[in-house]
Amino acid sequence: MHDLLQYLTSRHWEPAPEWLFLIPALLMLAAGFAAVVLRNLIHCALCLTLSFIALGVLFIALGAEFVGLVQLLVYVGAVSMLIVFAILLTPASEVAASNNPFRSFNLSRALNAAVGGFIVLLVLGGLLAAIAFSPHAQAAVLPTTAATLKPAAIGQNLLTQTLLPLQGAAILLTAALVGAALLAKEEKQS
Amino acid sequence: MNFLENLPLAAKKLVLDLVEAACKWACAKTGITLPDWGLSLILSLVSVLLVIVTIIVVYLVMFALMSVLERKILARMQNRYGPNRVGFFRWRLWGLLQPVADGIKMLTKEDIVPRGADKIVHFLAPIVMVAPALMLPAIIPYGRGMVPIELASGILYFFALGASTELAVFMAGWSSNNKYSVMGAMRAIAQMISYELPLIMSAVVVALVAGSLSPLKIVEAQGGSILNWFVCTPWGFVACLLFYISALAEANRCPFDLPEGESELVAGHLTEYSGFKYAIFFMAEYVGMFAINGMLVTLFLGGFNAPAPFLSFIPSWCWFFGKLAFLAFSMVWVRATLPRFRIDQMLQFAWKFMIPMSFASFLSAAAWCYSGNAALAWALSTVIVGVPYLVLGRFCFTRHHAVDNRRYLYSE
Repeated sequence: MHDLLQYLTSRHWEPAPEWLFLIPALLMLAAGFAAVVLRNLIHCALCLTLSFIALGVLFIALGAEFVGLVQLLVYVGAVSMLIVFAILLTPASEVAASNNPFRSFNLSRALNAAVGGFIVLLVLGGLLAAIAFSPHAQAAVLPTTAATLKPAAIGQNLLTQTLLPLQGAAILLTAALVGAALLAKEEKQS
Repeated sequence: MNFLENLPLAAKKLVLDLVEAACKWACAKTGITLPDWGLSLILSLVSVLLVIVTIIVVYLVMFALMSVLERKILARMQNRYGPNRVGFFRWRLWGLLQPVADGIKMLTKEDIVPRGADKIVHFLAPIVMVAPALMLPAIIPYGRGMVPIELASGILYFFALGASTELAVFMAGWSSNNKYSVMGAMRAIAQMISYELPLIMSAVVVALVAGSLSPLKIVEAQGGSILNWFVCTPWGFVACLLFYISALAEANRCPFDLPEGESELVAGHLTEYSGFKYAIFFMAEYVGMFAINGMLVTLFLGGFNAPAPFLSFIPSWCWFFGKLAFLAFSMVWVRATLPRFRIDQMLQFAWKFMIPMSFASFLSAAAWCYSGNAALAWALSTVIVGVPYLVLGRFCFTRHHAVDNRRYLYSE
């Protein structure tokens, strides 16, 4: 309790006490779980948004104010709206067909799901392990102190040490934008 | 005059001292020994609460005043009387008690939820709408030493919270189970997403020149006289206009009020809301409007700085609220003057004019920062914003689309 008091009463930058991490983390997990199991797709999207918000809160509680706010701006403001638009613009029959995977249980489908889930876990786990144990990744990680969490420091790092990935992401996004514009245009002409 | 300048801070200190004295007195009376951290915890909680209560009260009073003054100003511009009846017994008070009557009416009205509505989302939407709107004003510097929360990335906080109103609009529109609501919500989201880009870009321009995302630092960079305000530079002038227009669109104000265009869509996403839930939407819209105007004052109009040094005998917070009141008035003025956009005009204006212009003002600000002497900076940045303006203005709006070719898609 004392560390919480210290966190609340201090006027300077200070990471939150570790157990506070549990509140947004549990909320995030619960919302993410709800996003998977709920029947109504719009409810799923809203729950996913809640889990995005909880992740942003988690970043802020860890002292990464800038990252947390960017998370809110990008994911709550843009990505969630994208998902919602995608759901609303998909014809209703397609939505109904893919709506509830839990209603009709059959073995082959369950097996497929299990194998698919295993592969996804394997790939994600491998990726995480590669990131965690790679010496390059460790070198690129900044020590999280008050100084390195400032927006200016993050910008400095983005434009020096991690410039190449940044530009790569920019090219990817531009390509996606051009592709989307092309698809939309073709649809309009037909 | 120093007294007036420090009045709000002195009032806060007085309340905190009173609370401290009361705590000590209560401890002495009951014989409980309060540890040191207990007292400091109570004091910090009280000081946080003071800030929250002050923000909510000030913004709600401004909302109430605005709701009646807007109607009166509109009436004056349209050569009629406007609300002038509601008063107190035989004192009419120019109808200034109208918001009280409106509030009582809203509170006593029946809260109708459509049978086909999604009850939970329908209930949550006004909350999701009003909570970020009331959190927005927390980072605006209102006066010297009067920043409720000093955040290093305050500008980002403002836009991150502002973006979440889209979610609330969608929740309201979709959960109402009404086609007008869904269409209104789609329009509103299309509009907000389109105008958020120039809004954020024109704020980024200021962050580039001031070298900081902290609103207080940005205000301090504009100190001195009116010549130091960012609106008095070529890039700042353009960015300020872009920000103002985007603010009109973000606040759903006329000429961008087509999400609620009552002649086409009943009331857009608000159609199925009644009673106090409707009032909450209304309130969130006005509080958001004040907040975004406060941001405009902070970014471009010098914040709480006086326009000239000899005018600084007027307290800084008076300057801030004076500028805010002028901007709010100008938004009513725009509403009385301009007709509503059509949706295709609105979207074309955003994507073909506003966004390229915001990029131009960004480049212009960069030229301003990195060109050595003042004359070169002025010339370069004027050219960089002037040429795109002329080109875009010439070629964007001259092509007229034939009316029969118009196709009705989901958002039209």
